[in-house]
Amino acid sequence: MTPELVLQQALNGISFGALLFVLAAGLSLIFGMMDVVNLAHGAFYMLGAYLALSVVRITGSFWVALVVVPLLLAALGLVVEPLLLRRLRGRHLDQVLVTIGLSLIIVDFIRLRDDWGWGGEVRSLAAPAGLDHSIAIAGSDYPLYRLFVIGFGLALALALGAIHRRTRLGALIRAGVGDAEMLSALGVNTDRLFAGTFAVGAALAGIAGVIAAPVFGLQPGMDVDALIFSLIVVVVGGLGSLGGAVAGSAVIGPADTFGTVLVPQFALALIFAIMALVLLFRPTGLLGRVRIGR
Amino acid sequence: MSRAVVGWTAAVAVWIAIATFPQWSREWESSRYATSVIRDILIFAIFAGSLDLLVGRAGLPSLGHAAFFGAGAYAAAIVGQRLATNELLVGLGAAALVAGLLAFVIGALAVRALGIFFLMLTLALAQMVYALAYQATELTGGSNGFAGVRRPSLFGIDLASAEALYLLVAVVFALVTLLLWRVTRSPYGRALTGIRENERRMRALGYDTRTLKLSVFVLAGALAGIAGALSAYAFRFVSPNDVALGTSVTGLVIVLVGGAGTLLGPLLGAAVVLFIERVLSSSIGFSQTVLGVVFILFVVFARQGLAGLIRRAAERVRT
Repeated sequence: MTPELVLQQALNGISFGALLFVLAAGLSLIFGMMDVVNLAHGAFYMLGAYLALSVVRITGSFWVALVVVPLLLAALGLVVEPLLLRRLRGRHLDQVLVTIGLSLIIVDFIRLRDDWGWGGEVRSLAAPAGLDHSIAIAGSDYPLYRLFVIGFGLALALALGAIHRRTRLGALIRAGVGDAEMLSALGVNTDRLFAGTFAVGAALAGIAGVIAAPVFGLQPGMDVDALIFSLIVVVVGGLGSLGGAVAGSAVIGPADTFGTVLVPQFALALIFAIMALVLLFRPTGLLGRVRIGR
Repeated sequence: MSRAVVGWTAAVAVWIAIATFPQWSREWESSRYATSVIRDILIFAIFAGSLDLLVGRAGLPSLGHAAFFGAGAYAAAIVGQRLATNELLVGLGAAALVAGLLAFVIGALAVRALGIFFLMLTLALAQMVYALAYQATELTGGSNGFAGVRRPSLFGIDLASAEALYLLVAVVFALVTLLLWRVTRSPYGRALTGIRENERRMRALGYDTRTLKLSVFVLAGALAGIAGALSAYAFRFVSPNDVALGTSVTGLVIVLVGGAGTLLGPLLGAAVVLFIERVLSSSIGFSQTVLGVVFILFVVFARQGLAGLIRRAAERVRT
C-alpha cells in the first residue's frame, strides 16, 4: 500500500468509526439507563435515513433534515416507551423481545411506503451543497463529506461528554445508570427519565441515519447491518458508558475498513477475532462497567 | 384411563391425522398447496423445537439460531452435490454434524455471556456466518443461493415425490418431538431447567453449568441443522436468507407465540406464523406488520403462548 492509500483508508476508517460512535451512543445510553438492548435501534437508524430522504425532498435542505429527523425519532421514542416498554418494566428480556416486534413493524412500514419514494428499492441521498466535492489531501482527492462526518462525530462525542459531566441532566443520567431504583426512591420521576432516555437514544439513531445516508445510501437490510455493527461496538467497547462507545467505534471502524482492504476474505474473521479476544480477556469490554460474560 | 394414556392417544391420533393429510385431503381443490404449507409448518416446528431447548428449557435467549438451520441446509445440499449421493442418512448426518460443529464454535464463545448479552452475541456471530455464506460463492452460490438440491432416497426407496417427502418430514418431526420429550424429562433436562431458574445455585450444587449450556447449544444446533436439511430437500433450494437474521427472528417468534418450554408450542406457533407469512401475505401486503403486532401482543399479554392459553382454558373447563 502506498502512503497515500494508507492515509485515505485511515480517514475512511476514522469516519466509519465516527459514524459507529453516533449509532452506538444511543444504544449504549438506553442500555445503561434501562437495561434494555433496543433491537429496534437499526430500524430507528433506517427510519432516520428514509425520513431524511423525504425531508430533503420537501425542504431541499440536508441541514433541516439533520434537525427535524432526530426530533421525529424522539417523538416516536416518547410514544413507544410508555406504550410498550413501561408496562414490562423489570422484565428485561420481554422488553428486548418487544423491540424485535417493533423493528418488524417499522421495516415493513418503510418497505410499503412506495408512495413516499421509500419502498424496497435502493435510494441515495446527495451530500449537502458545499460538502459534495473532494479536496486534495497529501496529493490525492478525498471526499469532503467524510471529513465532515469525522468532525461531526468528534463534536457530538465532546458535546455528549460535556452534558454527561456538567449538567443536571447528565447527573441524573449518571445516577440512573448507577442505580435507577435508588433514584426513584429519591423522588426523581423515573417514568419521565426513562421515556426521555429512550427518546434521546432513538434521536441518536436518527442522526446516525441522516449522517450515514450520503455515504452508504438507503436500502433494505441496512437496519440489520447497523444493528449488528452497533452491537459489536458496544460489546468491544463496553456497554452503558459513553467512553465504551468511543473506544469500541475507534477500534471497529478502522479495523473493518483496513480488514476489507488488506484481507478482504478475512475481514469478518478479524472483527470476530477482536470480539472473541475482548470477551475472553476483558469481559466488561474495553471501557465498560457491566460484565458481559465470565 | 389415566391422563398419560389419554395424552399419548391424542398425540398419536393428531400425528396420524397430520401425516395422512395428503391422502384424506386429495379431493380438495387446494390439497397440494395446503400439503406444502403444512410440510413447511412441520419443518419450522422442528426448527423452533430445537430453539426452544435453549429459550424455553435452559433460559438461553438465542437470536442466532438461523446459523445452524442454514448450515444444515447448505451441508445437505453441498454434500449431495460433491459426493454425488442423495442418500438421506448421509445428507441429514452431514447437516447435523456441520451444524453441531458450528454450534460448538459459536456456543463456546456465547455461553460465556450472561443474560441479554447471550442474545447480542448469538445475533452478531450468526450474522458473521451469514456473511460467510454470502461470500463463499464457490461453495454456496452466494447471493444467488444454491439451486438444484436433489431430493433424497432412503435405502434405495426414492423420496422425491411431494407425498413421500411430506411423510419424511412428518416422521422426522415425530422423532425430534419424542427426543425433545425424552430430553426434557431426563435428569439432564431438569439440570437445564435448574440453570434457567437459578444458574448460580446450580453451580453451587456442583453442576458444571457452562459445559451443560454448551452441550445443549450443540444439541439444539444439530437439530436445527436437520430442520435446515429438510428445508433444502423441500424447496430444492438453499437461500442465504435461510442463514439470515430474519429466519432467527421467525424461530423466536414461533417459540414465544406457541409457548416457550412446551412440547406443543413449536407446532402451534409455526402454524400461526407460517399462516401469516405464507397464506395471509398473498392477500394483504402488510403481513410482516401483522406478525410484529401479534408477536408484541403475545409477549406483553400472553407470555405463556398459545400452549399456555390452551392449558389454562382446559383447566378452567375441568374445574
